[in-house]
Amino acid sequence: MERFLEVLDSASGPLWHGFLLTVGISGAAVVLGTILGLVIGLMLTYGGRIAALPFRGFVDIVRGTPVLVLILASYYMPAGLGISPGPIEAGVLALTIFCASHIGETLRGALNAIPAGQTDAARAIGLTFPQMLAYVLVPQALRQIAPNFVNTAVEIVKASSLLSAIGVGELLLTTQEVIGRTFMTMEFYALVGALYLVINLTISAGGGWVERRFQNQ
Amino acid sequence: MSDRGEAVLNIAGLEKSFGANPILRGVDLDVYSGDVVSIIGASGSGKTTLLRCVDLLEEFEGGEIRLDGDPLGYRVSPDGRRTRLSGRQLARQRSRIGMVFQSYNLFPHLTALSNVMLGLTKVQGKPASEARTIAEHWLDRIGLAERRDHHPSALSGGQQQRVAIARALAMDPRLLLLDEVTSALDPELVQEVLVTIRGLAEAGTTMMIVTHEMRFARQVSTRTVFMDQGVVVAEGPPEEVFGNPATERLKTFLANVSH
Repeated sequence: MERFLEVLDSASGPLWHGFLLTVGISGAAVVLGTILGLVIGLMLTYGGRIAALPFRGFVDIVRGTPVLVLILASYYMPAGLGISPGPIEAGVLALTIFCASHIGETLRGALNAIPAGQTDAARAIGLTFPQMLAYVLVPQALRQIAPNFVNTAVEIVKASSLLSAIGVGELLLTTQEVIGRTFMTMEFYALVGALYLVINLTISAGGGWVERRFQNQ
Repeated sequence: MSDRGEAVLNIAGLEKSFGANPILRGVDLDVYSGDVVSIIGASGSGKTTLLRCVDLLEEFEGGEIRLDGDPLGYRVSPDGRRTRLSGRQLARQRSRIGMVFQSYNLFPHLTALSNVMLGLTKVQGKPASEARTIAEHWLDRIGLAERRDHHPSALSGGQQQRVAIARALAMDPRLLLLDEVTSALDPELVQEVLVTIRGLAEAGTTMMIVTHEMRFARQVSTRTVFMDQGVVVAEGPPEEVFGNPATERLKTFLANVSH
């Protein structure tokens, strides 16, 4: 135990850095993925058959692909196009794509589940289609998908550990490096597990708070 | 009689079908300022579709609808080709007509007050303070001022329907369309909504009311229209339509509903 605390003290800098990188990459992917997912969800629902087609294909392909494959593809495939993203950029790209396809698909479901009467009422008071989306349909759909959104964010944090495969110095890779130096396998895998749990419990608590606020309305 | 005001709405030869199924087969109807026109008829006679065409919630294939003389929904080129107006133009025309639905259709994520304010701020572009004053006035008028900060889920069906009426009226429409507004209500809540509508009728609001409440239609309307199979079969003062039905179909219908 004493040795663990000693090692922890000396490794706390890199571990903290890895922790922040995990949170930062996941946060960026969730924000970007939600924006992109909003566009995808709207196109899938209202784009018409032709315009929705590429988005349908995107969602189906991404959802049918393991996240690790998405990550490796994001890192190595752009090289063929003469672009070489760094591991962090590639990681954010892969997780953003993953997040966007999930949000897009859930949003489509939520928008479709809104009763037709809402559209009638919105049109009857004279809202244009974009106004109807902004003030009536999307706010209701977002409340619907709040629980799903929390799940997706948690999935993204967990999936970010796969970025160790392309050398992103996030929480898992940093931990493995500490273990490689110290051979304290048990202690540090337990620690890293606990740290992921802290992040995800925080997200769940935040999501629960938002849901309760919606429910009170 | 209906010659007491200027014409607000003219419907001429209105035709509408869903696929191969004709719903309206040439409806003619004029509504004058201050008129309360009740539309009665069996399910499937086209009453609701007629209202939805007037509020431009449905496209229609033939005939025309004019509001204050302006053709609604379509632009007709000199060679007779009809083109549906753009979304923005349709929205503008819809904002001149109010509609209340059977299932209330309040926006569940907004309070009663915000439901009434939405069209005022976003469609009419009024500043929030002015919109709030107008919305509060209408909520007060329907007797729900103290429930303005409640969400629809915290209101009874009758209260929700009254807020929906306030939402439509706050836009100061030329014409108010009421589509079976008491049909989804529990029996004990019907009366409060009917009282609200009666108040509007007495204040001179021009209305078209589709209803199954025959007694109410008879009491509140200045004119009653009986529709059957997509056409207007009988039309006149309610005492005449109800008291002295001119056609067999109307007689049969009235006999069936009054059992």
